[in-house]
Amino acid sequence: MIGTVAQRGRWLAGLLLLASALLVPLGTGVGSVGLENLWPALWGDGTDPAARAMAWQIVWDIRLPRTLGAWCAGALLGLAGAVAQGLFRNPLADPYLLGSASGASLGVATALALMGGGAGMVGSAGGSAAAMVFSGHWLVRLGLTGAAFAGAVLAVLLTLALARGVQHTLRLLLAGVIVGVVLGAFTSLILLLSPDSLQAMQAFLLGSTGFVGWTSCVLMAGVWLLCVVAAWALSRVLDGLALGESTAHSLGLPLAPLRAALVAVLALATGTAVAQTGLIAFVGLAAPHLVRAVVKVPHGRLMGLASLMGAVLLAGADLLARGLIAPQELPVGVLTAVLGGGYLLWLMHRRTGPGGVL
Amino acid sequence: MKPTPVRRILWVVAIVVALGLLMAALARAQSLPTPPIVNGPPALAVQMTDDRGRVITLPRPPQRIVSLLPSLTETVCALDQCHRLVGVDRYSNWPETVTRLPQVGGGLDPNIEAIVALRPDVVLMATSSRALARLESLGVAVVALEPRSHADVQRVIGKLGQVLAVPDAQRVWRHIDAAVEAAAQSVPPAARGVRVYFEVNRGPYGAGASSFIGETLTRLGARNILPASLGPFPKLNPEFVVRADPDLIMVGARSMEGLTERPGWSNMRAVREQRLCVFPPEEADVLVRPGPRMAEGARIMARCLASKAAGNAGNAGKAGNAAKAPVAVRP
Amino acid sequence: MTHAPEKIAICANGISASIGKHPILHGITLDVAAGRWTSIVGPNGAGKSTLLRALAGLLPCTGSVHLLGRPLAGWHRSDRARALSWLGQNEVAADDLLVYDVAMLGRLPHQPWLSPPSDADHDAVEQALRATRAWDWRQRALGQLSGGERQRVLLARALAVQAQVLLMDEPLANLDPPHQADWLLLVRELVAQGKTVVSVLHEVSFALQADDVAIIAAGRLRHHGAAQDAATHRALEHVFDDRIAIHAVEGQWLAMPRLLPRREPASH
Repeated sequence: MIGTVAQRGRWLAGLLLLASALLVPLGTGVGSVGLENLWPALWGDGTDPAARAMAWQIVWDIRLPRTLGAWCAGALLGLAGAVAQGLFRNPLADPYLLGSASGASLGVATALALMGGGAGMVGSAGGSAAAMVFSGHWLVRLGLTGAAFAGAVLAVLLTLALARGVQHTLRLLLAGVIVGVVLGAFTSLILLLSPDSLQAMQAFLLGSTGFVGWTSCVLMAGVWLLCVVAAWALSRVLDGLALGESTAHSLGLPLAPLRAALVAVLALATGTAVAQTGLIAFVGLAAPHLVRAVVKVPHGRLMGLASLMGAVLLAGADLLARGLIAPQELPVGVLTAVLGGGYLLWLMHRRTGPGGVL
Repeated sequence: MKPTPVRRILWVVAIVVALGLLMAALARAQSLPTPPIVNGPPALAVQMTDDRGRVITLPRPPQRIVSLLPSLTETVCALDQCHRLVGVDRYSNWPETVTRLPQVGGGLDPNIEAIVALRPDVVLMATSSRALARLESLGVAVVALEPRSHADVQRVIGKLGQVLAVPDAQRVWRHIDAAVEAAAQSVPPAARGVRVYFEVNRGPYGAGASSFIGETLTRLGARNILPASLGPFPKLNPEFVVRADPDLIMVGARSMEGLTERPGWSNMRAVREQRLCVFPPEEADVLVRPGPRMAEGARIMARCLASKAAGNAGNAGKAGNAAKAPVAVRP
Repeated sequence: MTHAPEKIAICANGISASIGKHPILHGITLDVAAGRWTSIVGPNGAGKSTLLRALAGLLPCTGSVHLLGRPLAGWHRSDRARALSWLGQNEVAADDLLVYDVAMLGRLPHQPWLSPPSDADHDAVEQALRATRAWDWRQRALGQLSGGERQRVLLARALAVQAQVLLMDEPLANLDPPHQADWLLLVRELVAQGKTVVSVLHEVSFALQADDVAIIAAGRLRHHGAAQDAATHRALEHVFDDRIAIHAVEGQWLAMPRLLPRREPASH
């Protein structure tokens, strides 16, 4: 009988890996130009070398890292969601709870304002002034991705400082909400001072996998490996916490340092994903629920499975975003909400009994 | 019995690390070969510094250009190089021929793949965009230019002339300059010194004296209620406008909705006396683009000054379309 | 009540504790004998749960607590977890875990980090689940069970620790009479094995089934003695304002409500 649950877990993992393996080649076929156009350019004999090089570049340098990047970002978000829900013992928790979303937005707004709005804020016209602002400023050298990551991590640190440590879950939650709101207000202020950044900001907020190249991809994959191993090692704390704080304490779990480590994993995973792809909603929230709807596992397995589920969700949504109204693109955040939310709605509708979380 | 998870984890780690190394190695191996030099007259390399301070070197004047900023599109066409454009953003709509070109997304969220598929020699775009870094990492030459003021427009025209290897690009500027001067002459003396409020966008965002719109207004002899110290496009408290009591209000049809319902605005002198110039969307597009059509824009504003500032009670302008997204400041 | 020192499982020396700014316990000194079942009773709000938490080291308090002869603060975390098992009230949010996995969590103190459960762990879990008659539905999710079934699973979790000392706060919550009887027999068995059980029970009749009774009222220890003693019975009746009467029925002590018109409580 025990074998059933473990077996289901393995089936689910296998299914998700298979789906991932399918999505990757599919991802190379979807985009502004159909694969049927690219194929002859890639393999045909009579193509001129420039066209072939361009076709290869599209498939290899653009579509493949984009699909893999979506997979990695989804994996990071799914993992972060599972950690957040375990840490706060709340099925509605998502990875952005500790203020990382607002922190990243603030970082991006600041970077945009300094890069583009130099003339605006100073009030003087003239390209030379703007050029001086840009090449000199360290934030510009950091780039938008660096600024987003730094913002996310700093926001989480601020939340921790406000909550005075990780001991009290409720205080941590409240601090996260406060930090989110306050940093959001600062972001609005900066956008007011340099309204030119408004559209760029909106593009960031909607989330997009369009700018993910190989470096971003490998970076995300590396961070994901680190985080998933760390989360798996720390998963027994989450299991213990599910029984209540006093029980976890009585079981001899060193709550404070391990919770701090989990918050660090959460911040790292969320910050990396947000820095590369912007704010993509719902993946972190939905992935653990989707896994639990299929198989009920303790947190050790949940980390890996939620990662895979999030990865497949985002990679699939990215594929649809590119393919539905090709050559135009839908924002990927819309599709993750539709896919993840739709499935959750169906689940809720199906379960009339008191079983499960929903 | 349950297998040791440690071994399984090691397997997974090994596979993922192997995949990662493979990806990294292949990423390094791939690169776009340089386009072959066509036999013909010896190509002159083009070198210029863009608005980021970056020096761009192209082996020869670009023949395939993608433009992601409407004002840059218009400038390219004003330099008679429209035929070299192979792709534009979705907001570029002048001249007519440009609308038939493939559209590769917005200025700030362009479709990277579509741009690369067009095999451009150079991409023209604004400075603040993530797409810039991505395109450069793919080996595409990018020139970032961002005109904001009259001086900027002149500079950008010069730089584009350098990129396109067009002699005497400044004739475009001279034409703009002359047209603005002529427009200034056409403004009747009674309209000089009129205090104007130009609203660019719902917000409300106004055009300050240091913006290109403000500079044109200044040259036309009008005064701006927004001092230069507020910046080029400040977001205002509507009450500020009421207190400043402008003689004339210029606004686009899209932002016109709800204007008179703002508290205190229905009693403003300019509103009561119908001293409002409401520009239809085509004219609004012309006015908010810092490019070659600034000449046309100056004429539009001069017409407005001549008809309204002199005290003629005209109608409030043609009715605008159903409001779409508010006109961006520098689309 | 005094015992020889090596016979004391837990002792509290003058502990005072507050929740927020409100003082709950005022200088309680209590020796819990080893190998016996001690029951803590008292009126609502007397501080029984707080006392139990202080004994388990879950609450900061002034004064000292000694576990098996050593100060609680001196115990290493995992040693303490193996020696002391805690069952709390109303804490669980683990609706998605399977019954088997929940019981297995009780073995955490015995498992080295990152290692899978050993045979000994599986045996302990099976034993605990059978003892609480939860073995048959070990593959069901906790959220699908009724209140009483869930309580039995949590009890199994506490048993799986196989600790020397068990502290249980309202262990009979939601249990129906047959399972309450099961629990009683279970505790008697544990005591027979030499373990120490301390329970907070608000059902006085069940509390009287224990070996010793400690009576707490208004944060102070009123009485500590054998459950059979008449002195204990009188103290119990007194602390509940004489609204109960303790009678012997078929060899067991029963607390029955005394349905008299209400009179003013005597001053303490």
